[in-house]
Amino acid sequence: MSARPEAAPEITAYRSVPDFAYGRIKDIRVRWALDEIGRPYRTRLIGGIFEDKTPTYLADQPFGQVPVYKEGDLTLFETGSILIHIGEADARLLPRDAKGRGRAISWMIAALNSVEPMIQTLVVLTVKGQGTDWLAGAIEAAKPFAEQRLSRLSEALGDRDWLEDRFSIGDIVMIDVLRNANPALLAPHPNLAAYVARGKARPAFQSAMAAHLADCAVSEPQPA
Amino acid sequence: MPVNPDSKIEVTAFDWVPDFARGYVRDLRPRWACEEIGLDYAEHLISAINRPADHFLFQPWGQVPVLNDGGIRLFESGAILLHLAEKDARLMPRDAQARANTLAWLFAAYNSVEPMLFELGNVDIFSTEEEWAKLRRPSLIEFIQGRLGRLNDAIGDKAYLTGEFTVADIAMATVLREAVEAGLIAEQPRLQAYLDRCLARPAFQRAMDAQLAAFSEEAGPPAA
Repeated sequence: MSARPEAAPEITAYRSVPDFAYGRIKDIRVRWALDEIGRPYRTRLIGGIFEDKTPTYLADQPFGQVPVYKEGDLTLFETGSILIHIGEADARLLPRDAKGRGRAISWMIAALNSVEPMIQTLVVLTVKGQGTDWLAGAIEAAKPFAEQRLSRLSEALGDRDWLEDRFSIGDIVMIDVLRNANPALLAPHPNLAAYVARGKARPAFQSAMAAHLADCAVSEPQPA
Repeated sequence: MPVNPDSKIEVTAFDWVPDFARGYVRDLRPRWACEEIGLDYAEHLISAINRPADHFLFQPWGQVPVLNDGGIRLFESGAILLHLAEKDARLMPRDAQARANTLAWLFAAYNSVEPMLFELGNVDIFSTEEEWAKLRRPSLIEFIQGRLGRLNDAIGDKAYLTGEFTVADIAMATVLREAVEAGLIAEQPRLQAYLDRCLARPAFQRAMDAQLAAFSEEAGPPAA
């Protein structure tokens, strides 16, 4: 792998986000993965989270989100696909054998499709429902889904350090999902709280977060 | 005929589910992928009412499907689709950018489209009589419409998400079916045509028939 700066992959990130999203944007997952394997990257900052995206940007990212990942002639969107691509170049992120690879990807999709939606819903409801008559009922209905998933996850993790016998892209996404949950949801599961703390203590997480925050400012919240 | 009890590839599915879930259980996704490439698989049918205790070892949420490919056990339908896709270029092209597009769109289905439909399911199915659900619904629908509109634009004149049919279409089409009853697909003409095109594939119909054939009334709850 060449270390020439012009060969470094490029990721997009927001220049500013509202306070509730500060430090919680998904380019962190990609920065974290790249920092785990010491791979330099460049950042291309696009406007604020609510600004209209150019047609050129929408051609790369149909929903106008970040990150978009470019490496040479290759363009990817969705953090899950980007992490598989990065992981395929380095077994420290994604095992080479079919079994280890399959388990790591199973956990990553579990984080993206079976845990994040339940946690994200509670965040979205809290932000969008502020001051409405539906907030309390909606939270009460949504919370058991998140609680049930976290209980199951706690059992599956048990006393292991990581979701499988070694760290992988599955842990990057799961830890990033869990660290954005309301701490009260994790409180009944000390092993999950310890798992998140273990992930956040990794030097690559800390460098990724520092680089993310250096690129991103807090903007005024979007009016409802 | 892909359902073959002697196959070393085994898909776990339920032996009974309530009527509203029939044709929508997620083992449909790997069944569809197998049908597309004529890959034989055996069924491992379990009870949805009394899930075997060891099932949670293989699927932390107790759901289906699980794939057992000669001892490689995967969970999460997205990971299973990607595993099957590595076996045959008809499910994921080998060209680097086409493969990247397949990965990106598969993750778009799992992390950018399906999660908002989970919340709609909660509002429209589980909490439909609740006052808060009626109040929450308009803003949720508006958000979903925005994202489906972007998807409609991204499909443009293409027959499938990446041009050619891939596992990303299996993921996206099965996700979009969840939004049909709410009338959200019919208002996006290209999306509707895309969904119709996917579901008209003979492999989809065979997968659906196989799922429905696996349900047995004797396995259901005793009649009231």
